[in-house]
Amino acid sequence: MEYASLYWTFIRINIKAKIEYRAAFLLTFLSRGIVWSTEFALIWVLLYRFESIAGWGQYEIMFLYALNLTSYSMAAFFCFHPFTKLPAKVQSGEFDELLTKPMNPLLYLMSREFTASYFSNVAFGLLFIGICIYHLDLSLGLWDYAFLLVTLIGGMLIQASAFIYTAIPSFWMVRNTSLAQLFLFDFKDFIRYPVSIYPASIQVVLTLIVPYAFINFYPAQYFLNKQDFLLFHPVFQYLTLAVGAVLITGAILLWRWGIKHYHSTGS
Amino acid sequence: MIEVHNVSKAYRVNRPRESGWLASVQSLFSRAYEWKTAVSDLSFHIKEGELVGFIGPNGAGKSTTVKMLSGVLTPTSGHILTNGIEPSRDRKRNAMHIGVVFGQRSQLYWDLPMEDTFKLFQRMYRIEPSIFKRNVEFMVELLEMKGFYRTPIRQLSLGQKMRANLAASLLHDPKILYLDEPTIGLDVIAKTNIRRFLKELNAEKKTTVILTTHDMDDIEEVCDRLMMIDAGQIIYDGGLQAFSRQFGGGTLLEVEYRGDDAILEDARIQVVAHSGHNVTYQFDRSDVSLGEAVSLVTKQHNLRDLRLREPELEKTIGMIYTKNKGLREQA
Repeated sequence: MEYASLYWTFIRINIKAKIEYRAAFLLTFLSRGIVWSTEFALIWVLLYRFESIAGWGQYEIMFLYALNLTSYSMAAFFCFHPFTKLPAKVQSGEFDELLTKPMNPLLYLMSREFTASYFSNVAFGLLFIGICIYHLDLSLGLWDYAFLLVTLIGGMLIQASAFIYTAIPSFWMVRNTSLAQLFLFDFKDFIRYPVSIYPASIQVVLTLIVPYAFINFYPAQYFLNKQDFLLFHPVFQYLTLAVGAVLITGAILLWRWGIKHYHSTGS
Repeated sequence: MIEVHNVSKAYRVNRPRESGWLASVQSLFSRAYEWKTAVSDLSFHIKEGELVGFIGPNGAGKSTTVKMLSGVLTPTSGHILTNGIEPSRDRKRNAMHIGVVFGQRSQLYWDLPMEDTFKLFQRMYRIEPSIFKRNVEFMVELLEMKGFYRTPIRQLSLGQKMRANLAASLLHDPKILYLDEPTIGLDVIAKTNIRRFLKELNAEKKTTVILTTHDMDDIEEVCDRLMMIDAGQIIYDGGLQAFSRQFGGGTLLEVEYRGDDAILEDARIQVVAHSGHNVTYQFDRSDVSLGEAVSLVTKQHNLRDLRLREPELEKTIGMIYTKNKGLREQA
């Protein structure tokens, strides 16, 4: 961690560069806010008609959404630009420059391309969590809030791993945007709703293979006092951080292997 | 300083599939691969303070070589040692001793003046404040950057950006500077500035400079050693003058006679062009001295005009590329 302050310097200079365009920064904050609030409200409208889905009420499903949004945004701070733009960087040869610096390429990329505008997403995500807690009248103690933080960090690690895994093929393949689209967005649509509404096979996939259910479905049951574990053991509600840690370790190892076998471009 | 032993680099590429949709579907499941050799069995040494230029046609392996030297790519086989470090294995430690500028790709923050990036690099390379201050002054002075030192990078011209990039890669006093096509796309004045700077840097700090280029003037004005790479192999390694002698075919003498059929017959002097009264001779100065050649040409015939030309490197190199390509296609 001796370099921690150095990476922090890179993040700071990024924020500094963003603030140069103050109007744009505020505008992003506003427009993102409108987008997320609309989505949030849409769930409310939808659930107003149905009242509940598989025993999950209106605000309970909104809570799932808020957990997903917040942990995604926390990961996107460091991951969205670095990894979704990686294929372009590899093609343009910009990635080569990264490898000639006395830095860890992964951390350097993440701190250099840190995107300050995700601040607005995180802020709205936390606001939505707050709204849900208020409406559901959950009485959470200090430890519960600490566990909420741990869950969000675990979810962030899972989401960050998804970014890294989907970017690694670009070391060898020219185009892999569809892979990123599939795993980062399409597949994640499943966890907008309680996983219990899906057939068992999909539940297994979302738990063991692409474990997005740990982002919101399992930990949410702790806060909402639910017992909706289906095929799996209730201990799964505590495992988000562990799952995140395992996934991110795998992602880092695969990343290192990828760089070793990196081809660069011809020119 | 740089030692390269039997280095090869091969890429696995998809074999082009046959046309037709059946073949396309087939390629989804099983792909045929083939190994494409970018460079094969390279060996050379570069001493401290040398100014080395790599030339060669596109796809010859110049950039691959520079990327292996700088640690970006791992060789498929063979060993590279720069500064006693194996660059691809010990990337971070190697990075402390090298400066890199790859073409027009900027390592500077687009929205900020170079000053901010420099300060960041000071921390990244852990440069002592006194050395940092001295080097920034040295660069700003020598690259004439006072006028735009505090201007955001996005407002700079291509030449100014290149100078800022060069400065950024030299703040930590690297022992070796790698440049991939440093003058590409620049105007004549900007090119001259950069060439002069590289010479001065080398004289002042003994920095070893390795550059790739398509511009022979870069080589002529900067480098004291030329390495020509074609199809992944070194086909020439040595000084520039020796290169002209070996491949240039010798000095050209253009003569305009007053009468016809006045061609000189001498085994050591060849006729390379002849139209009407104009004849172009070519000879190697180690066979025939310039004075002797001129006196031979002028002795018997009446001249209207006489011009002496050294062969143009640009053309010579073009001829070598074409010849080698022809030989490869025959094989």
